[in-house]
Amino acid sequence: MKLAVYRKKSPWILHYNAGGCNGCDIEILACLGPKYDIERFGMINSGNPKQSDILLVTGPVTKRSRERLVEVYAQMPEPKVVVSCGACACTGGVFRGMYNCEGGIDQYIPVDVYVCGCGSRPEQIIDGVIKALDILERKTLELEVSVRLKKVPVEENGQVNRREVAAKIIHTQHTYE
Amino acid sequence: MKGFIIPVLLIILAPFIGGLVHGLERIVRARMQRRIGPPLLQPFYDFLKLAGKRKMIVHSAHAFLGIMHFVSLWFALALLLLGGDLILVIFLHLLSTSLLILAGYSTRSIFSHLGANRTAISILAYEPVLIILAVSFYLVTGSFETAAVFNYDKPLLLEMPLAFVALLLILPVKLKKSPFDVAEAHQEITGGTEIEFSGIFYEAVYTAKWLDYVFCYTLVYLFAGNNILLGAALILFTFIYVNALDNSSARVNYKQMLRFSLAVAFSLAFLNLILNIVI
Repeated sequence: MKLAVYRKKSPWILHYNAGGCNGCDIEILACLGPKYDIERFGMINSGNPKQSDILLVTGPVTKRSRERLVEVYAQMPEPKVVVSCGACACTGGVFRGMYNCEGGIDQYIPVDVYVCGCGSRPEQIIDGVIKALDILERKTLELEVSVRLKKVPVEENGQVNRREVAAKIIHTQHTYE
Repeated sequence: MKGFIIPVLLIILAPFIGGLVHGLERIVRARMQRRIGPPLLQPFYDFLKLAGKRKMIVHSAHAFLGIMHFVSLWFALALLLLGGDLILVIFLHLLSTSLLILAGYSTRSIFSHLGANRTAISILAYEPVLIILAVSFYLVTGSFETAAVFNYDKPLLLEMPLAFVALLLILPVKLKKSPFDVAEAHQEITGGTEIEFSGIFYEAVYTAKWLDYVFCYTLVYLFAGNNILLGAALILFTFIYVNALDNSSARVNYKQMLRFSLAVAFSLAFLNLILNIVI
């Protein structure tokens, strides 16, 4: 029996706010309400990383929350997907370049689906999660190594260059192990 | 429940029946909140999905205790349906719950410890009432064995109505429903004792909850004697009552729960016991 088919039918969501303004979080909670009701697809907001499949992250990563973000990601058993929800989580948004924030969650953990918007609308979030489910079905049980906080991102003139960061992260990942 | 085939079939199919009850419960809850809700077979989809996830265990004893919780609960249910000693059934159920508590204490997670504490407190809330109920059954039917209850020709509901009310009052504690769901409290301690289980080991704890549904509804069925129609009506009534209460009430804290169940439910059960002795 192919069990991968059932991943699509019961995705359990873990919602983590990495220091956002709560706008996207309210929209995520609106998805659970009577109007959008994502429980009809079998999704529940489980709140427990060890039993979840989808990590929904909102907010730019503040320097306080980045350890927890990586920790929560590492505690989820594979197969798992990450959906970054809202402009802040994708790129840093209006907080980009500020002294207390990082520019987006993909500096620390691999992201599968980016959902834009400030705050992203419930329809967009549902669409992003459904796209994530297609990716989830193709994933394997192999260990996905998260990018640990071993290196500080490269900064030039106070701005983080994401392309260089990604290259650097891949480099450090190999040297670290 | 005469004969041997029906109890054995019920025991083998108990996880499936419990899963269907859980699915129906989720639909009913969604409809009460004006949502559509998941499909009826959703618990089984969850089950099959969890089977395909990578297993992360804290340590082997923790995972083993989770599986033994499931096995011992199934054993208690089998004994109840096959007409065993009611006291023994209640203590086997206590054993299965205490295995889960041990599992909760065996990890370093603070939520797990909190959940284990609260599960122990909820045992304190419902266990005395169940024991008194068993004694009441003995006084009415003349035997501690549930086989005698299943073959009793008058409905027990009429002989011990206060005991049924007491059972209704402690059922939310046992099924972990609002207002007495401090042991699980998903928004507060995210599941309590079950928080550290994952993959196929969480499945054991998740399925044990379905078995608990069958266990509790069988306890309700005991009040019908050998009247199957009355039993079905009682189970239906209890299902609606538990879900309506779950959706319409907020969680109380453990002190209020303990005070309520020991002051109200326990006194009702005890009053019923005295009435049964006198009459």
